[in-house]
Parts: sequence; structure tokens; C-alpha cells
Amino acid sequence: MKVRFRVNGAARGFDIEPGDTLLEVLRGAGYVGVKKGCGTGDCGACTVLLDGKAVNSCLVLAAKAEGRDVTTIEGLAPSGTLHPVQEAFLDVGAVQCGYCTPGMVLSSVALLAENPAPSEAEIREALSGNLCRCTGYAKQVEAVQRAADLMRGASK
Amino acid sequence: MAIHQIREILRPATVEEAWTLRVAAPESRRFLAGGIELVLYTPPAVTDLIDLSRLPMGGIREEKGDLILGATSTFSEALSSPLVARYGGGVLAAALRRVASPLQRNVATFGGSVVRGHPWSDVTCVLMGLDATLDAYDGAALTVDLDGARGRSPVPPLVTAIRLPAALRDVRGGFEKFSATAFDVATLNCACVVDIVGRICREAHVVVGGTPAAPRRLVEAENALRGRALDDEAIAAAAGVAAREVDARDDRRATAWYRRELASIGVRRCLVAARGEGDEVE
Repeated sequence: MKVRFRVNGAARGFDIEPGDTLLEVLRGAGYVGVKKGCGTGDCGACTVLLDGKAVNSCLVLAAKAEGRDVTTIEGLAPSGTLHPVQEAFLDVGAVQCGYCTPGMVLSSVALLAENPAPSEAEIREALSGNLCRCTGYAKQVEAVQRAADLMRGASK
Repeated sequence: MAIHQIREILRPATVEEAWTLRVAAPESRRFLAGGIELVLYTPPAVTDLIDLSRLPMGGIREEKGDLILGATSTFSEALSSPLVARYGGGVLAAALRRVASPLQRNVATFGGSVVRGHPWSDVTCVLMGLDATLDAYDGAALTVDLDGARGRSPVPPLVTAIRLPAALRDVRGGFEKFSATAFDVATLNCACVVDIVGRICREAHVVVGGTPAAPRRLVEAENALRGRALDDEAIAAAAGVAAREVDARDDRRATAWYRRELASIGVRRCLVAARGEGDEVE
């Protein structure tokens, strides 16, 4: 079947199997920043934004994206200039092996779009679906706080 | 992982059309809402999915005082709704915050949850406490209870909305979930809803689920509360009755004995939360 949706702002058409997940279609189309982890919605490595909401792309059928907006990690820095959340993750050292990082960053972007000044508890809650096996999460929380500061500063 | 046996996704424009498509092939077709349950497990005989996303089954609204949760509305939508925040003292919102992760709550729908009806479902537990009924369609509009989403053969009705009664809009409630991790399904969950007039508990609903059987009302625990002031003594008495009354059994998550302990603690915490003094017990 054919579906059309926007990926990182660009309208795209895809020829898919009806039972394909969004994860498989995106990776097949070259958006390999979308990572495959558990495949059951537990780890968050496959996180993308669907109409601005962070979702597990392994749990969403690609057909459900018809007519909608999908943002992958590739869409955050289209011109090569990093998104403030990406900058913050680098600045505070919130990246180790990097496999969870695209999902962590996208969940953080979704959080800050809704809540520009989240508390630590709100950050931990927003990232609770993104597992990291390298770190203790402290650096990611710090990175989101830093990104919030950067983004508030930029908007002043 | 792709659902390999799916051959077609059908996109009806009306509820009537969706129902006609479903009954035309009861074994091989299923309704598709958020889709999480279907991605995780689709019965081998199912080859076609009927996508409900174009139907007017979303949104959250009030209707003659009832709170209406569209079947295709997501848990996240509910959590951002002021109507949900106000209803029942916020007990539904409190429960939804304990369900899975924000990522899954952005996709999971009320309709999908009640139709799947996992025995550990936090959503079913709290909806039962709030006397929820289901607006449904099976060739004609009808109202069914929560079990009615799954019960009938060969095709259960299409759930179009979850209806929470106006009569419980101003009650107070509490929800508690015990699980191995915050992300895990419940080893046991509880929801308590009380209507307090003066200091007296005029009505009480006590629900315990994941026992590991499906949620059910604990009638004796409710009777222990009705007509009494919701003081520490009444709460302790109801918690004790709940521990004895709950249909607790062993499974790989917990023993029946442990579940009875959890039921007592959970009911006590829910009632303290409902009373409005915070979590000061245990």
C-alpha cells in the first residue's frame, strides 16, 4: 500500500506492507538515527515525534502516520547547526555509547516544547520511557535542564 | 516488528461502515485504534485491520454532566484535559500517570485499553471505580458495562466512547499501583472513590485488580465504609476487610499472601488520598 506523510518537514511517499511499523519504514528509507532496540516499546531507542508527540515508532504502524508529521533525530539539525538539546547533551557529557541518545533527545525536545521550565521530576518522568544502559541518567537530566536554560535564553 | 500477516488496512468513513466491515469477516478483521496491542500480538487468523482514526470517536468532552472519553482519545490527551483533572477529584488522572511510559501514553487509547481488558489494567481498575459505561455500536447505538467490550460472540460491539457519570463528578478518589518497576504492569492495583457529605461517607467504591484476576469491586469493604466518618479507624477497618475479601491468587509475580498485604496497604493509601491528607500511612 502507499502512504504519504511528512518526514522532517518534507512530504514523502512510501510503498509499504500494511503491517509495517513506522520504525521499519523510516530505517528502510535511510533515517537510521531511528534506532531499533527492544521492538516492544520498552526501551525508547526508536523514539520519533509524531505530530510533535514522542512515540515508540516500533509500536506504531506506518499506515497510522498517513498525513501526519514525523520528526526523526536527523530533522533536528537539518542545516548542520545542532538543536539546543543536542548541544546540551554534548556539553554535559550525557552521551556514552550513543544508542539511546536520539530517543532521549527527541523525548527531551517534546518535553521542552510543552513545558519550557520542567522540574527534575518532570524531566525524569518525560524520559522514563527511554532506557540507557551506560549512564545513571543524572547527566541526561542535567542536559535537559541546561537545554531549557539555553532555549529560554534564546527566546528572550 | 511488522505484523506480517496483515494484507489490508481498511479505512471506513463512518461508524456504521466500520461495523459492517467487521461483521463481514469476524475472524479475520480487527479494529485498529492506537495499535499497540496489535503490534505486540495479533492473532494469526487476523489479516485485515479496520483503522478507526477517521471516525468521530476522539476527543474529551462533557455531555449533560457526564465526562465522555472518546474511544480513540489517548491517555496523554486525557492527562492534558482540565475536564479529566477535575473529574472525581483527579483520580483518573492520578491513575493515568502510572500507566506505562509517556511514549506509550501518547499512542494508547481508552478504547483499545477497555477492549483488550488486561486483568492488570490500571485503566480498567480506575474506570470501574468511577462506574464507567461504554457507548457502543453493534448495528445500533447501545450502552454496555466494561465487560461488554469483550463479552459477546461472534463480534463484540464497537466501543465508541467511555462515559463517566455526572453523579461522580465531585467525588474524591485515590489510586495505587504496586509493580516491580515503575514501568512494569501491576502486581496489584487499587482504586477507591468516596462521596463524603459532611464527614460521612455516603457512597464508596473499592476496586482491586491484578490479583491476578481482572479488577472487581469489593462489596464488603465498601459496606464497611458507607455511613461512617472516613477516619483512621474506618479506613483501617475497610483495608482489613479488603485483604480478606480480595480474590488473591499466586502467580509468577506474587503469592496470594503478598497480594492480600498489598490490597490492605493499597486500599488504605487510596482512602487516605481520597480523604485529602496525603500519603501518611505505611
